[in-house]
Amino acid sequence: MSNRVEAFLGLSAELTAFSRFDLLGTGLAERYLGTLDTVVGGEITDMLLAAFVALPPPEDGTRAQALRATILGSELLGDVARALIKLWYSGTWFELPYAWTQRFGPKSADATFVVSPDAYIEGLLWKAIGAHPAGAKAPGYGSWAYPPKIPTFPGSPTSKPDAVSVHPQNAGIMS
Amino acid sequence: MLFPSESALRADPQAVAGSSDYDIVIVGSGISGAIIAKQAAEAGKRVLVLEAGTGVNRSLVGYDDLLTTFYSAATKDNQSPFPVNANAAMPRSPQLRKLQAGETDSSTYIVQSGPYVSDTTYTRIFGGTTMHWEAKTPRMLRSDFKSRTNFGQGLDWPLSFEEIEEDYRLAEQEIGVSADVEDQSYLGQTFPDDYVFPMRGLPLSYLDQQVNNGIDGTSVDLYGQIYPLKVRPYPQARNGIPNPAYDGGRGYRPIGAVDTHQVEEGGRCQGNTNCVPLCPVQARYHSGKTLAKAFRIRGKSGQSLVELLPQAVASKVVIDPDSGKVVALEVKVYNDSASPAHETITVKGKVFVLAAGAIETARLMLSSGLRSTSGLVGRNLMDHAYLLNWALMPQICGTMRGTSSTGGIVDLRDGPFREKQAAFAIDIHNDGWGWATGAPTSDLLELVDDRNLYGADLRRGLIDRISRQLLLAVMLEVLPVESNRITVDPQFTDALGNMRPILSFTVPEYTMRGAAYARQFSRTVFARLGAQDHTSYAPSDFGYVAYEGQGYAIRGGNHLAGTHIMGTTKTNSVVDRNQRSWDHENLYLVGGGSMPTIGTANVTLTLAAMCFRSGRDILKYLH
Repeated sequence: MSNRVEAFLGLSAELTAFSRFDLLGTGLAERYLGTLDTVVGGEITDMLLAAFVALPPPEDGTRAQALRATILGSELLGDVARALIKLWYSGTWFELPYAWTQRFGPKSADATFVVSPDAYIEGLLWKAIGAHPAGAKAPGYGSWAYPPKIPTFPGSPTSKPDAVSVHPQNAGIMS
Repeated sequence: MLFPSESALRADPQAVAGSSDYDIVIVGSGISGAIIAKQAAEAGKRVLVLEAGTGVNRSLVGYDDLLTTFYSAATKDNQSPFPVNANAAMPRSPQLRKLQAGETDSSTYIVQSGPYVSDTTYTRIFGGTTMHWEAKTPRMLRSDFKSRTNFGQGLDWPLSFEEIEEDYRLAEQEIGVSADVEDQSYLGQTFPDDYVFPMRGLPLSYLDQQVNNGIDGTSVDLYGQIYPLKVRPYPQARNGIPNPAYDGGRGYRPIGAVDTHQVEEGGRCQGNTNCVPLCPVQARYHSGKTLAKAFRIRGKSGQSLVELLPQAVASKVVIDPDSGKVVALEVKVYNDSASPAHETITVKGKVFVLAAGAIETARLMLSSGLRSTSGLVGRNLMDHAYLLNWALMPQICGTMRGTSSTGGIVDLRDGPFREKQAAFAIDIHNDGWGWATGAPTSDLLELVDDRNLYGADLRRGLIDRISRQLLLAVMLEVLPVESNRITVDPQFTDALGNMRPILSFTVPEYTMRGAAYARQFSRTVFARLGAQDHTSYAPSDFGYVAYEGQGYAIRGGNHLAGTHIMGTTKTNSVVDRNQRSWDHENLYLVGGGSMPTIGTANVTLTLAAMCFRSGRDILKYLH
């Protein structure tokens, strides 16, 4: 795996809170990197990856603030990073905001589109809420009668010890 | 059930045009036409089914292509699986906009003449609107057949519940309804002692159960009458667990998928949460299943008794001026959905059945110059009015799982209040706020773009925002009003030169009074649940209706009816109690268009039952 793909996976994992394992499991990582290259171009994509690689290390308490400042809050990279989050969660590339296009120039492939039929099916949104993409990965007859199985993740409500007891706010969450 | 690899061979247009021995020519391959075709073939009759769509989805490959189109669609509206075909165009709700007073919008297939803009849809494709329906199959209530007598509102049917009850059972058998009699015996609904539905009811969703926990045992008071609240399961036209007690203990074999032997297809519902717009596994009924059975019926010489001619748009009903009988249909046959090039053929038969849906059937009659003696063709257009109410439950409910809808609040489908205001049935949408707000995609966009969430905060935010969603979709009764209508005008035509439907509609005050109450009712339910009400109706909404100082966004229900209303004489109706045209003795106008009222029942089961009745009448006529 190239350093470029490695950096892309690292960035994607940090933005989505899904592990590299989950992201690779979609089979779409390289295609999504290719989508960035196609839509905003290799140069901007490389700037985004470079900004990620340049972040302070995870154990440094300033990393999240730096990510906000240099990526999500960047005038050039912020909207691209947000489009990447939405892409992972939905399989859809959402057209960049009008203001971005005005400032940095229109990109010919920048329209709202579903990357591929399987990109819709592999959207992380469905997994995040313990559901399934409408029209695919059906959970089976009668499964809907039971509480959802919402996966836990670092920072999820059930990762807190006190959430094990059944509290109305958490009644449906099972790990 | 196994079907041949190609369920229906495409008939050759030249052979069809040259043939003079069709007993029955049917326009439309939806459920009405399918039931009549199968019944006729079983009696040895030769049937031609004309379908405006391409018909490619009659094979498994073609059906699966629709699914791929759906997956790839950036906007997943209720017609998104069905490719654009200008030769057989259909309404698509995302294209609508609000009208200014007096304005007509002809930019969409249905010309919206206002004042209300309807987002109602139907599907012009093999299988008709059963390719996209949600497949709830409640019966109409006994009182719904006599709303004029009982409530001084609407019209009485020329048929009683008792006269249609047996055909309801035939329809439930053909469609394959999953329900339990004990769940459906509310508001005085009765069933024969030994009756069970073909399949056991689908279990209520976890979301339904959470709502029921909050309201069960409570009640509302309406004009001094007490109505208990409870979440009850809806009968569903999707495969569940067959009931061994069905048919006197003989059981029921679920209707499978068209054109496949794979066990994954046509089995029991798997919970794809995608009944609308397309069940990926054909667990939900569509009329292709009935047609697949019909296509297998062979005549004495071994030929299939039912032929399908797709890409064939009926354009004119030709009448013999002396007898009033239909002598032929003019049909435009196209070769390529991307090109308007077509040939016009003439199709002859003994009996003609227009089963193209309430709007297309009326459109075809009116563009043939056939308004009927009563002048009622196209008038009395009805469609359930939906008022959406959405809220966040206090607890995680696992929204976005299940069939599209499993349960609802249905105890206000009937009562003395119907003298004053519309009855309603509420369904709980297992797909959350989708219909109202575009959830869950709209939630994702808001959380990422506006709330600046990413990483774990975003995941928590999505769970919090989506898994607690509750949508109460209130389906309100709409009564027949003659000025609510479909018309045609030669200035509005489609790619083939056929006149397009023009829709003029005002939501009746009776319905709006019901809507105003339904809004209060929903707020009461939310209060009992401790749910945060997020409902809002924007004045810029295309379906915005002001009533008594408040505004409501009214949605269409795709339960179209009334355009060739059934009655007792040729002056008060278009068709008789068998759906036969009063004016043309060998012409049947079948489907929702014949219904004088629609109560609070989704129309398909009732119109299917009516088609069994018409099928028998047609056979009688032919003998």
